Amino acid sequence: MTSNALLMHPATWFILAALLMPVLNRIHPMLQKLTLVMVPALSIFLIYHLPESFGTVTWMGFDLVFGRVDKLTFVFLNVFTLMALIGGFYCMHVTESGQHTAAFLYVAGALGVTLCGDYLTLFVFWELMAFASTFLIWYRRKKKSIDAGFRYLLVHTTGGLILLGGILLRYRNVGVEGLAFEQIAQDGATLADYLIMVGFMLNAAVPPIHAWLPDAYPEATVTGAVFMCAFTTKTAVYVLARAFPGFEALAILGAVMALYGVGYAVIENDARRILAYHIVSQVGYMVCGIGIGTAMALNGTCAHAYAHILYKALLFMGVGAVLEMTGKSKLNELGGLWKTMPFALVFTVIGGIAISGFPLTSGFISKSMIIAGAGEAHRPVLLVMLTLASVGTFLSVGIKLPYFIWFGKDSGVKGREAYWNMNLAMCIAAFFCLFLGFGPGTAWLYSMLPFDVNYHPYTSYHLSETLQILSFTGLGFYLMVKKLTPEDHMSLDLDWFYRKGAKGFMWLAKHPVHAFNEWMDTLYRTVGTPLTLALARLFTWFDKEGIDFTIDGSARQVVEGGNKLRQIQTGQIQQYIGSAVAAVFVILAAVLLLV
Amino acid sequence: MVKIIGFLRDRSGLLKWLFFLWLVCTVVFDVMALRHEPHFFGDTIIGFWSGFGLLGCLAMGFICKGIYHLWLMQDEDYYDK
Repeated sequence: MTSNALLMHPATWFILAALLMPVLNRIHPMLQKLTLVMVPALSIFLIYHLPESFGTVTWMGFDLVFGRVDKLTFVFLNVFTLMALIGGFYCMHVTESGQHTAAFLYVAGALGVTLCGDYLTLFVFWELMAFASTFLIWYRRKKKSIDAGFRYLLVHTTGGLILLGGILLRYRNVGVEGLAFEQIAQDGATLADYLIMVGFMLNAAVPPIHAWLPDAYPEATVTGAVFMCAFTTKTAVYVLARAFPGFEALAILGAVMALYGVGYAVIENDARRILAYHIVSQVGYMVCGIGIGTAMALNGTCAHAYAHILYKALLFMGVGAVLEMTGKSKLNELGGLWKTMPFALVFTVIGGIAISGFPLTSGFISKSMIIAGAGEAHRPVLLVMLTLASVGTFLSVGIKLPYFIWFGKDSGVKGREAYWNMNLAMCIAAFFCLFLGFGPGTAWLYSMLPFDVNYHPYTSYHLSETLQILSFTGLGFYLMVKKLTPEDHMSLDLDWFYRKGAKGFMWLAKHPVHAFNEWMDTLYRTVGTPLTLALARLFTWFDKEGIDFTIDGSARQVVEGGNKLRQIQTGQIQQYIGSAVAAVFVILAAVLLLV
Repeated sequence: MVKIIGFLRDRSGLLKWLFFLWLVCTVVFDVMALRHEPHFFGDTIIGFWSGFGLLGCLAMGFICKGIYHLWLMQDEDYYDK
């Protein structure tokens, strides 16, 4: 890769900044703060000046493509860099350089995956993301976070290995050409392609391989969760949209996960876990859109990914601000914060109405595109499932979350407004949630989508449908608000299998395997050791009496023979010649007589 | 901002009636809305999405909470036991 290509790749700057972060902080903390926003700002500038292809390196016969830019790439690059800027502002008050290093390496991984044009490069950046983001969980330094971080790392390592298996199989089946990261047709898909798809689906948190997300994100640092909610799942959406549009399994699983996520969000108690389950639900819309695979559905997927990253980050920032200021994130421990944290309330409500798809917000013009895509593709079941998920979204995040944190019962928890940088970051995200929702903002977003847009969200019927659904969901909440009061318990999910499975494995190791080991140890000490000693004595005897006797005897014979030979050697040349002549004479006589 | 929220909270009774009025307005608006080619039968029924929103919300609340209480609910230290 030429130095020019290296410098134009936005991931380069994030990696460089990540490595220099501790040094910059040591020189002056202000340098670190500036870097946190200057590098994302630079990357926003860079992505507008990228050529269609750059940074191709030939390595051991493989073409590694670090830069491939088309419309699908650009819309994701655009929102990733914008999100990095918002995240940079939000985490500015954090002095610990390691957290920023992890966050920037994580962003670099996401940008690398989005820009790459081959599976080998993709895999390297994919693993960088998993590795770096684990530290965003560990840096919270609580036991639960450490444990959750290990589970997160193990699950993602497994997913990475499945992906690698698919890539290697594809290389064996197709050859070097098969490593190009391009669209795969459903009809010709092989086991290799499905393994790659499963690897991608794990990062997109598609059930039943989704449980790592609501397990890990609520345990991350306040600022780390803001980064994490934006990049891992949406990078997975990008790669699925790139490689697997039109795969029926994705359409069905996407609609299922949209409902699965909101179902858990309705019953959860921890604010950040509610939001984590909502990522599952919202990414479900995108996965379903990819599965439907029409131009409208794929446009909707990209638009929704853009809108979702911003409002989900806003929501994580809002409840993160509450966690930062009060030390609490469980709804049953919160309530009545409207007096002390009104700004966080307003920003969170903006995020809440955007995720619910209120008119004049980003969710209205993006989510509806996927649902309309399902309708146009004559998929009424998917349409109803996705619409029902939007009911649950408004119920749990639009109303339940802000109600029980800022209103509800007065918990007596004393909060105070978040730091200025956190409020600024929330303000930027809130601005985009509203800006994208109408007029020039919508037109700007639609102009970035991969296909030409022939969709008008502001029709009277769509407005009527949305207002009815949301308003009557509000009525439903009003009627059963007591029923929905959060409870201080956790809910089981499919991580039960590996969490309990790991405990079962530990039990197996501690009890039967350990007992067998102990028994073998005793057996060896009582039978094995004496037997070994007896055998050793036998071999010693054999060595002494058998081998040594033979070898020593041979040596003695050689020495004696040598002595005798030495005695018959007189040193007189005449005797030697005479002996030789006699010997020749004897041989000749023998030959003559015998022949 | 706290004053505005406080002002509104003090008038929660009025807000409640305004909300009910809003609900009626949304159904009335549905009568007037220009309908596109229906994607499924619900698109042809006036007020369908009102019922869908209310019943969907109630059903989701009861079903999810029901499953939670019957099966999924565990103590916070469930995995540490």
